[in-house]
Amino acid sequence: MSLPSATTPAGETLAINVTVNGTLLSLNVEPRHSLADVIREDISLTGTHLGCEHGVCGACTILLDGEPSRACLMLGVQADGADVVTIEGLANNDGTMHPVQQAMYEAMSFQCAFCTPGFLMSTIALLRDNPSPSEVEIREGLSGNLCRCTGYQSIVDGVETAIRLIASNSAGIDPVGEPT
Amino acid sequence: MTDIPDRQTSGLGFVGQRVKRVEDERFLIGEGQFVADLNPKGVLHAAFLRSPFAHATLNSIDVSTAAALPGVARVFTAAELNAVTNSFPPLFMIEGLYTPLYKCMSEDKVRHIGDPVALVLAESRYIAEDALELIEVEYHELQATGTIDQALAPGREQLWDRADGNILGDISADFGDVATIFADADRVITRTFNCPRQTNQPMETRGSVVIVDPATGHLEIHNTSQAPHFLKWAVAGLLVNDGAFRNLSRFARNKDRRKAFSAAAKAFVSTNKQKLLEQDPAGQKSQMKKDMSFLRAQARMAMGLLASNDYPTVKAGDIGGAFGSKGSVSREDIALAAAARQLGTSVQWIEDRVENLLDGGQAREERFTVSLAVDNDGTLKGMKVDAVLDGGAYASFPVSAAVTVLLWKLYMPGPYDFKAFELNAKIVATNKGKVVPYRGPWANETWMRERMLDVVAKELDISAADIRLKNVIREENMPAAFLTGPTLDETMSVAKTLDRALEMVDFDQLEQDKAAAEARGHRLGLGISSYHEAAPGPPNFFSSAQPGSDMFLHEDGRAEIQADGRIVMYTSQSPHGQSHQTTYKQVAADEFGVAMEDIEIVWGDTDRTQFSFLGTGASRGGPLGAGVMRMTARELRNQVVKVAADMLEAAKEDIEIVNGNIHVVGVPTRGTTYADVAAKVASDQAVSTGPVFKEEMKYEGVGNGGWSVATHIAWVDIDLETGQVEIPRYLVVEDCGPIINPGIVDGQVRGGVAQGIGAVFYERHHYDDNANLLSTTYMDYLIPTAMEIPKIEIEHMETLTKGENDARGVGEGGMIGAPAALTNAVSDALGVDVLEQHLPPYRLLELAGIISS
Ligand code: FES
Ligand code: FES
Repeated sequence: MSLPSATTPAGETLAINVTVNGTLLSLNVEPRHSLADVIREDISLTGTHLGCEHGVCGACTILLDGEPSRACLMLGVQADGADVVTIEGLANNDGTMHPVQQAMYEAMSFQCAFCTPGFLMSTIALLRDNPSPSEVEIREGLSGNLCRCTGYQSIVDGVETAIRLIASNSAGIDPVGEPT
Repeated sequence: MTDIPDRQTSGLGFVGQRVKRVEDERFLIGEGQFVADLNPKGVLHAAFLRSPFAHATLNSIDVSTAAALPGVARVFTAAELNAVTNSFPPLFMIEGLYTPLYKCMSEDKVRHIGDPVALVLAESRYIAEDALELIEVEYHELQATGTIDQALAPGREQLWDRADGNILGDISADFGDVATIFADADRVITRTFNCPRQTNQPMETRGSVVIVDPATGHLEIHNTSQAPHFLKWAVAGLLVNDGAFRNLSRFARNKDRRKAFSAAAKAFVSTNKQKLLEQDPAGQKSQMKKDMSFLRAQARMAMGLLASNDYPTVKAGDIGGAFGSKGSVSREDIALAAAARQLGTSVQWIEDRVENLLDGGQAREERFTVSLAVDNDGTLKGMKVDAVLDGGAYASFPVSAAVTVLLWKLYMPGPYDFKAFELNAKIVATNKGKVVPYRGPWANETWMRERMLDVVAKELDISAADIRLKNVIREENMPAAFLTGPTLDETMSVAKTLDRALEMVDFDQLEQDKAAAEARGHRLGLGISSYHEAAPGPPNFFSSAQPGSDMFLHEDGRAEIQADGRIVMYTSQSPHGQSHQTTYKQVAADEFGVAMEDIEIVWGDTDRTQFSFLGTGASRGGPLGAGVMRMTARELRNQVVKVAADMLEAAKEDIEIVNGNIHVVGVPTRGTTYADVAAKVASDQAVSTGPVFKEEMKYEGVGNGGWSVATHIAWVDIDLETGQVEIPRYLVVEDCGPIINPGIVDGQVRGGVAQGIGAVFYERHHYDDNANLLSTTYMDYLIPTAMEIPKIEIEHMETLTKGENDARGVGEGGMIGAPAALTNAVSDALGVDVLEQHLPPYRLLELAGIISS
């Protein structure tokens, strides 16, 4: 596929198929639109936030085929065939919160919550790969996400609460983001 | 005020508990409503063309190619938008200060990198940005001013023709007999301290969505504003109203509007009579000497307000942090509203991060030369400070850098018993982004004073703890008029936090830890800082800064009970992370004797809430915002109790409300409910909709306390090989009165300290000497992550005050105390005077003598 030049106006679109939060969608997206913009604008899932649009703040983090990814650094067309999970896809089918959401609620992890979608996604991936991280490992695991409000302690507390919640659920972490 | 006992301190109810945040029920599932989430159908997307030069004149601009790009709806040049908008007039005028007027866009001259010169509106942000590339601008570059030294130097290119060089303000104040105190002291110790530029950097950038009603032209502005009411008035007053004269005469003929206006004006004058009389004309005179045009600008703004039949509605939804940066009315806000009105089409601007770094709000680039007159036994006697504040290019509106100077005037001697104080402060213009309030805008006074105390202690060979203990003002000497005017109250004393903090340090252990660090090739140091903060301050606080200025500081509240019994509370605050919804529900639920979910909190919508000049800011949400919620709820409850008492055929004194059951004490089975009482009143009044009970209140905070106080102690460990820093322990002992919600207060304290850690070790908003901004991304402006911010230990004192609402503000304190504690710890660790606030690894190694500077 050839990408249009920077000054090519809107109009030309490419068809992609992407699974978002468990639903397979067929979309026509503009080739130069970022995945974040596709998620926020074309699919109207605005829970994924844009803090910097240059790959540092982590607010746009989603799970792409299970891996935490910066939606601001990818094009929408690159998600063709992929499985995407956003913050809106975390809650259980019965509407109750995912254990990580529940834990962050208990720990009063956030303030303005603009960073929240990214921290939730990074935490889910972190705990899936390492169900009982130490505090240092938690901090390291979240170091790709910026929060300007909290000083991070409450978020670390939230992750530790999540570890306990998940352990007591015994089923382990919800395999969100795994390709179905 | 009422006959109902105060539940605040009774230990019952929600206040004081770590109640989980109701906000999180939306946020954690991705259902926040931030401004960028609105994205209404058909909206045009804005992109501003911004100057690539720090200082230049504009020779020509050609937007024709850009305007012809498919998908572009319109390109406005600066001249076009300036023609339909008024200048931003100065609002805070201070003796010795000149505030240049400016327009929403720059058409003749640009004064910083990022200065807006054209506005594109297109179908998508992508196309709008494409169009920016097609605009041709011819600039003529001028000499730029990038440093304080350059700004003070004579003979350079001026940003503003009418200024004295690039000096805009020269403001002085003195208290006590400075000359005698300095002559009599054993010695005078002098140092110069520098703090580089920082930026607030909330995770959400600024943004505005202006929706135009096609039928009426009414503007509904969704904005990331900390002060939506002020934005509403600013837009109404700054957009030139084509039919102004026609409207004015219509206004004159319309008896109802005239009546309403004169009633409002009369009410304002009578409420504020004393304060209006106190107003000092010296500030206006200073401004007039340089530039009379503000009179015209103010008149135009006033006429705009009178003549417009329809003010915009401003709505602030969820806001992703601000830290002071969203309290100002942005030039972009005005340009955007003007464009929407011109086009009759809804438009939106979502700032990107680069723009936010360019001009989303910057702060704290200041220099202080401080002399302390001291006796050899460590008694502090006098303080003289020469300060310079780098104000950047344009004054932020309405709270400009000048307000920082006013607050320095009050705060600088801090919690210590100085006998004399003199301040000479200059505000200079440089070719940089605008200076806004940043979490404790005056905070560098604490940094330089507390740093200086350590310098003095070292020279006199006494400990950092002892010099503070010796000079801190103690409760037994209060209440007292502080040297600079405001009243200090014994219920909130810094001394108590200092004593407690020192108790929590094991100084013997510290010596061992220092030795152990040294053995590892590290250095460990401990730093102390203490401060008091007017949050919201005693009643005479703001009038001590600027006579009469406290009339802007009312906080109003309204409470209603609807016909179906629902309780609705209206606040003029504009929350952006402080959890107002949760805390206000806690406060109101306790007053009403109901569950938190029975209370609805309305905020951010200017059609529904009362006017507030400041909105959320200045740590007012607890003391004033929650205070007025409490008082309003209490009055409204009394109204309900009166009716319920009749219904229950009892005396109102015998009524209690538990879990929403309104009953005679001891007879819960024969109770009624808010819904029943409301239904009864509604049926009596034949009201089917709208509130059946209503209460409105103004509140200035009562009592003579109003201070939040704290002592911070930081331990800093420096690796001499890498310059890397660790903070093995960080302790905050604070007293903000009884806490409404400890989970939320802890978060505020930690967040503030984290920003202080960022300022000292990581963040520098770096302009070069030619005022080119070098930190235009987060790769250059380093915000600390979870790896850099340690666990912060917090000890609360919770002293009750004598006021009706004991809660004190806590939002700013963390950031006020941290830079001093950290730089003092570095000084202790390395055994050198630290004279600058920003200490990245290379600088630490230079100070340690490992590498040469
Ligand atoms: S928005 Fe993607 S990393 Fe910041
Ligand atoms: S809670 Fe505001 S940025 Fe994290």
